[in-house]
Amino acid sequence: MIWRLVAMIAGACAILAGAVLVAHESPIQSLQTLFHGSLGTPAAIAGTLREATPLLICGLAVFIALRAGLFNIGVEGQLLVGACACAVVAIRFPGTPGMILGVIAGMAAGALWALPAGLIKAYRNGHEVITTIMLNNVALFFTGALVSGPIKDKTQADTATPYVAASSRMPWVYQTPTVQVNFSLVLGVLLAVGLALWLKKTVAGYELQAVGSNRVAARFAGISPQKVTMLAMTISGSLGGLAGAVQVLAYEGRFYDGFSPGYGFDALGVALLAGGSAYGVLPSSLLFGILSKGGTALQIDGVPKGITTVVLGMLILIAAAIRYRKVTTDA
Amino acid sequence: MLNLLVLTILFSTPLILAAMGGFTSERGGVINIGLEGMMLMAACVGALASAKYGAVGELVAGILAATVMSLLHWLMTQVYHVDHVISGMALNAVAAGGTNFLYLKLSDPAHGSDLPHIPITAFCVIAFVTPFVIWLYSRQTRGGLRLQSVGSDPDKARLMGIQPVRVRFFGLLVTGLLTGIAGVELVAYTGVFTDNMTSGRGYIALAALIVGGWRPIPTFLACFAFGFFSALRLQLQGTPLFGAQLPSQLWAALPYLVTVIALAGLIGKNRTPAGLGKP
Repeated sequence: MIWRLVAMIAGACAILAGAVLVAHESPIQSLQTLFHGSLGTPAAIAGTLREATPLLICGLAVFIALRAGLFNIGVEGQLLVGACACAVVAIRFPGTPGMILGVIAGMAAGALWALPAGLIKAYRNGHEVITTIMLNNVALFFTGALVSGPIKDKTQADTATPYVAASSRMPWVYQTPTVQVNFSLVLGVLLAVGLALWLKKTVAGYELQAVGSNRVAARFAGISPQKVTMLAMTISGSLGGLAGAVQVLAYEGRFYDGFSPGYGFDALGVALLAGGSAYGVLPSSLLFGILSKGGTALQIDGVPKGITTVVLGMLILIAAAIRYRKVTTDA
Repeated sequence: MLNLLVLTILFSTPLILAAMGGFTSERGGVINIGLEGMMLMAACVGALASAKYGAVGELVAGILAATVMSLLHWLMTQVYHVDHVISGMALNAVAAGGTNFLYLKLSDPAHGSDLPHIPITAFCVIAFVTPFVIWLYSRQTRGGLRLQSVGSDPDKARLMGIQPVRVRFFGLLVTGLLTGIAGVELVAYTGVFTDNMTSGRGYIALAALIVGGWRPIPTFLACFAFGFFSALRLQLQGTPLFGAQLPSQLWAALPYLVTVIALAGLIGKNRTPAGLGKP
């Protein structure tokens, strides 16, 4: 796991340096900016961890679908409706019940949003990639309409909901004036461990992976691919919704227009780089967190933020090329 | 009414071009999620070239950029056997980030939106002729039949002495050409390049391909229908429905919602090329 992270970071640095060189900037200095901005100070590390939290949970959402052979590109939309539902519910109930009900509402909304894609995949054989991408756009406009109308905080100018009461926010596990680490990160790590165990130790987890590796063989073994598809999409969607809920309860405190900077899409890269184990999502989400936080620092320095997306895309391509090459030569 | 028809034609033009590009790739068995990225790259490079080399340079540069992307997709899926969806998504990421980077670094702010472009009518004509050309090509020529055979059963095609890798190379070459034209059309229509200006058109084109059952003419009609719903949204935006003023976002979601419903309801018979995604 460690060597994997090291190799990925080295690869990312190399690609980034190359790309920056093309744009007539100093690669060494850019890398310095990137790492100083993401890991240089305690506050920067806390910022990186904050960025990594939604990526971790979204990454797990994509990962679980991927194990069942599904590309859930709709995590972005599931995150949006999850965050929106969570904000609406958590505002109603102050205190701890608000937090718990908010999380439940977020997960339910996310699962509900993934449902059409799962149904269409399982029973109409429509490709889930297309449906989930379409549902992303619908979610974006739908939550946008809600937050600029019915659930908007009328006392404020910005299109956002009122803030969730401080008593129903997620607690901090470590807090100094400069560095704060939220409980949500612990929750994400626990989820990763839980999912890894669930996949490995339970019948349902085994069936899910069986369908993912060979649909036809799984059907002959008496597993219903339709049921597994529905289950995987539901879990994936509820995790996506959870990521949104956590984002509201831990960091943002409210839902607003333009809530997600594309966590759901980055999560796809997180899950693809993670490989075959849920534990792999931990280092890869950290890597994405570093790139995302460092990318912001680069942007302040005058290098467009798009460069980090390019690096991620190239990393995915290279990692996939190496992995699939190995599979084909083994077989 | 006439306005609606003109808008429909305008909105469906890039969709048709992209969907036909998707056809030559998917009918040959290569899943192509990367249509979006190819269009975006073509739009960006086209806009950059337009400032220096004029309208024709814009078209050529756009086509070249999209072709490079699509051949990269060919290399990844056919030579390195990367999963087609992964390769496509990675290409989309590279295009989304790369265009942002390239445009901010290389564009000339002095130019603004007065760049030379090829007239939109030319693009519309190309878009409305292409499906019929592709239909004739895929039905009546040796190359077209080979493309179909490779997409339907690559193993049998191999036994017949056809090399799928080679046939798909030419398929993806055409994909690059058509998505390149589609991307340049977007820039020519709006005048300037903006971040993520394709806004999901590549995916809608792919959905049209699925709804059309991977056949050129039905796909063309599906694109036209999606274009119609986009145009309808612009026409109906702001008009009250059942006595209530609907928020503009709900109208904006209409084309995407229609796509989901179409995918849920319209795929009666499974027409997926049997060799889709196979090596």
